[in-house]
Order: sequence, then structure tokens, then C-alpha cells
Amino acid sequence: MYWTLIKAGILRKKTRSILTVLSITVAFLLFGLLQAASPIFTGQMEGLRADLVMTMSRYNMMGKLPYSHVEFIEEIEGVEAVLYMDYITSFSQDSMFEGVAVAMGGDIEIYDRFKITEEHQKAFESLKIGALVGETYAIEEDISIGDRLFIKSISMNADGSYDWEFEVVGLYNSSPKVDEMGIVVNYDYFDDSRISDKGTVAAIISKVFNAELSNDISLTIDTEFTNSSWATRSGPESQIAMDMMAEFGDIELIINAILSAVFFTILLVTGNTISQSVRERTTDLAVLKTLGYQDIQIFNMVLLEALFLIIIGVFIGLGISLLSVPVINAASGGMMEGLFFLTTERLLLACFIGLLLSLLSSIIPANKALNLKVVDALRSD
Amino acid sequence: MSEILIKVENVNKTYQRGGETLTVLDELNLDVPKQDFLALMGPSGSGKSTLLNLMGGLDTPTSGGIGINGVQLDQMNAKQLSNWRSSNVGFIFQFYNLLPVLTADKNVELPLLLTNLSKSQRKDHVLTAMKAVGIDDRSDHKPSELSGGQQQRVAIARALVSDPDILVCDEPTGDLDRNTATEILELLKILNEDHGKTIIMVTHDPVAAESAKRVLHLDKGKLTE
Repeated sequence: MYWTLIKAGILRKKTRSILTVLSITVAFLLFGLLQAASPIFTGQMEGLRADLVMTMSRYNMMGKLPYSHVEFIEEIEGVEAVLYMDYITSFSQDSMFEGVAVAMGGDIEIYDRFKITEEHQKAFESLKIGALVGETYAIEEDISIGDRLFIKSISMNADGSYDWEFEVVGLYNSSPKVDEMGIVVNYDYFDDSRISDKGTVAAIISKVFNAELSNDISLTIDTEFTNSSWATRSGPESQIAMDMMAEFGDIELIINAILSAVFFTILLVTGNTISQSVRERTTDLAVLKTLGYQDIQIFNMVLLEALFLIIIGVFIGLGISLLSVPVINAASGGMMEGLFFLTTERLLLACFIGLLLSLLSSIIPANKALNLKVVDALRSD
Repeated sequence: MSEILIKVENVNKTYQRGGETLTVLDELNLDVPKQDFLALMGPSGSGKSTLLNLMGGLDTPTSGGIGINGVQLDQMNAKQLSNWRSSNVGFIFQFYNLLPVLTADKNVELPLLLTNLSKSQRKDHVLTAMKAVGIDDRSDHKPSELSGGQQQRVAIARALVSDPDILVCDEPTGDLDRNTATEILELLKILNEDHGKTIIMVTHDPVAAESAKRVLHLDKGKLTE
């Protein structure tokens, strides 16, 4: 019964219905794309683990911590293994490598986002100037195993120069792919050879036995160093990433503000469409009531009409968003993988917003239709 | 004299307008026997449409009773009246009031969507009703593709499709030319005489009223022969 009536209502002004669906589609496409891109701005990346506790300088993202912190953390109950790292910032104009090389030491294998073959790992461990290069970067820069990498860094070498030389001994893969745009070198070699900041690390990553221990262990670390000049900020890797991004500004709040404005506009557009549609069909609705349709059936019909329009818009909008994710990931050469994605929770949230929009936009016109007096409506015809 | 189908007893209908009480129907009594074809005439504001609405179960009297086939309409709530209308009365309007985006057969089917009939049963009923009014060859046409007379036939088919005892017609020929109006009135006479429908028709047109078995005049809420 309802389908015939809904169809009749929607098709009465085809252009208006199509434009309404289009505006809803665009709104939910925007929602889908912004939600998919939100991990880039919020640090809620795929693959970040809760059982890896990251420790870094409390007040400076690029600040240093003494190596003794590593030793302290290794002794904490519940910590299974520890990895530490420092960064070698290069001057891009004079280097073969642009950006920040990572000097890693300790139990590198706990950082299993980086996939390294056993052969390459052995080669890396056995050669102090060995370097592992991200596969994507290696392909982009045509780097092969056995090549020499020269980096001019802000860190002074023991020979008084700022030149650092490494030999490529292997490649690594990672997810997200963007992490493949780097190189990894031996921390011990780097630390032995540098003049300044000796015996310091930029970040410590501890693998804990159980993710539930992460917060307690983080607290233990931060409490231990709270009054030292090497105060720490620790937390599960997933949380730290979000905290770091939050320091640049609450981008999620901005995204949500944009989406709220969009959905509010859609609410007005759809509400206006449904109201206008009901107003134009006063006689039709009165005739239906005359034929025996009950008030509540007319009320439901108006609600379902709005729901139908919005559901089509939601499905098309989210459908295009979902199709865009692999396309955008592919277009980025895999750089966006793990950073640009839509979770089931976000999709369900979109459906919930759709339901709420349809209810809010149609409740007033539906109520008008409910209370329409047949005699008055037909008399005014 | 046939059995009484509609009994209107001491019906008053008043409206409040600007603090003033407006009496539209005043202590009105009327018996309509089965298979009657009654024309209600009268000047604008005489209360004829109000009386039609009351007998069609679209409105309730301020006081008094309206009994149809032993059922007191004045005792029913809105939901009961809706249910009663869907199976006991068919409405025919001056401006046809068809849903513009639905084809003729879909318009005729509308009252049947409220029943438990299957799709094929509904289709059979629709075809029967459309054949009865001679419009079955236009079943897939939309109202805008039909003439006024054809649209009114579709509207009559819609009124007939659930096989009600009573047809309530509000100026059914008011929007039609004389020839078409005559055809529609002939059709109503057939429905009354051959199919046993009780017809109550409001009209301003004395020629249309001549098709009825009885003509009653309303003036200031009171009936005159």
C-alpha cells in the first residue's frame, strides 16, 4: 500500500525529488570522504596497536630522552621487549635522502608494521652502516641493495663533518605505505658516531604482554620521570598518534563543524521539500482519507516518503565514497593505504544520521497531514 | 416503500465563527430508502454539502443521529469512520480528484490497497469496475491524458471498486459539458437501477437533478420537497 502512495508522492515533482536526492547524495559523499580522510588529521590510523607503548619527550615532539629511560622501561613488569629510535634529519638539497631517516635499536621485530625478510634483517644487524630502505622509496629513487646512501645531516659525525654514509642491505614493506618513504639505519652506529646528543633517543616503544597493561605502564613511566628534566609522555601507540595530531589543532572538531553545517542545510532542504510536497497535495491527502485511509497511515506515508528520499541519497553518497576509497588509495600509489578508509562504525553513523534527518525533516509536515480535516481540505479545493 | 438505508434524525450542525454560532443544519430529518437516487439542491451555503459529508461519514453532527444500515455514524470515532467509509461508501467529486501521477487503473485500485485482497484479485476488481463505467481501454493512461468525462468515469470506477452500497456525488457534472454530463448521469442511473446503488447527489444543475428519482431542496439548513 505504502509503496504506491510513496511513489505517487515522490514522482509528483520528479525534478524536485531528484534535486533533493542529489543534495543529500552530495552531503553524504562529503561525509564519507571527510570521515575516510579523518585518520590523516586525527591520527586514528589503521594498524596502530594498543599493546605498543610509545614514550617520548613530554614537552617537545622532537625532544630527546636519555638512554637510561630505555633501561628503566625494560625493567618494568609487563614489558616484553623494547625498541628505541632517533631521527637523522637530512638537508635535502645535499642528500640522497630527503626527510628524516630513523635510527633504530633494540628489539626491532616488535615493530611488526615494518615487514623485513629474515635475510635482510640479518644483513642489517651484521653491518653497522647497513640501511633498510622502504620499498616504495627504493622504487621511486631507483635504489638497489648494495647502493651507498649519502646523507648530509644536522647531526655532526665523529670526523667533524655532517656527512653520513650508509649501505643499503635490504628493503622493508609497511602499512601504511607512506611509511615506506623512509630509511632505517642502526641506532648503535649512529649514536657511536655522532658528537652531540650522544646516548639519547627520540622515542621508545615497548611491547607489553597485554594491551590492558598499556595505560598502567604508561603511567608508571611518566610518574617516574615527572619531575625530571627528561619528563616523558607515554601512551599506547594509537593514543599517542592522536595526541600528536591534536597538538596541530582539533581538526576533527572542524570536520564535525563542517558536517554539522552541511547536515543542517540538508535538514532545511529536505524539510522544505516534504513540507511543500504535503502542502501541494492537500487535496490528494484529503481524497485518500475520504477513501478510507486512516490519519496514521497518511502520517506514516509522509515519514516514509522522506525516509525513502534520504535513504537513496545516503546509499548513493556512501556508495560513491566507498568506491572512491580504493580509487584514491590507488591514485596515491598506496600512500594513503591505512590512512584513508571508512569503518563500519562510520557507515552506521551515516545511516543513523540519515534516519534522524528523515525523521526531523518530515515530522512537522507528517503531523500536518495527520491533522488534516477532510471536510476543510475539500471545501478549500 | 423500500427499506430505509439512511436515517437522519434531528441533526444539527453548527460552526463557531468569530464567537458567533453559525447553524448550517437545523433539526434536519431525512430517510433515504435503499436504491434511492436522491438529488440535493439549494443555494450556496444552504447546507447541502454539509449534509452530504455527514451521510458520507466525513463529518459528524453537532447533535442528532445518522444511522446507515443499522450503524450509527454519530457514535463512531475517526478511525471507525475511516474503516466504515472504505467499504460502505464511494465518493465522486466535481473535479474528479484523481492522483495525477498514477495511471487510471492505479487510481481505481487505491481503495483496494486497504483490503487484504491479493494483487491479482485487486486487478480483477479494478478491471470489473473500469468495464462497468466503460473506461477499461484507458487503464494505463494518466489523468492528464484523459478528457474530463473520462476522468470522471475513472473517479466513478474508483468509487465503485470496493462495491459500496452508497455513492455520494458532489456536483459530479459540474465540470463537464452538457453531452458529457448527460453520459455521466446516464451512467449513474444505470448504477442505481441495474446495480442497486443508493445515490445521493448534490447539484446546482436542474437538468442533472432530473436524472434523480427524488429531488430535495435545502434552504438555511432545512429541507423542502
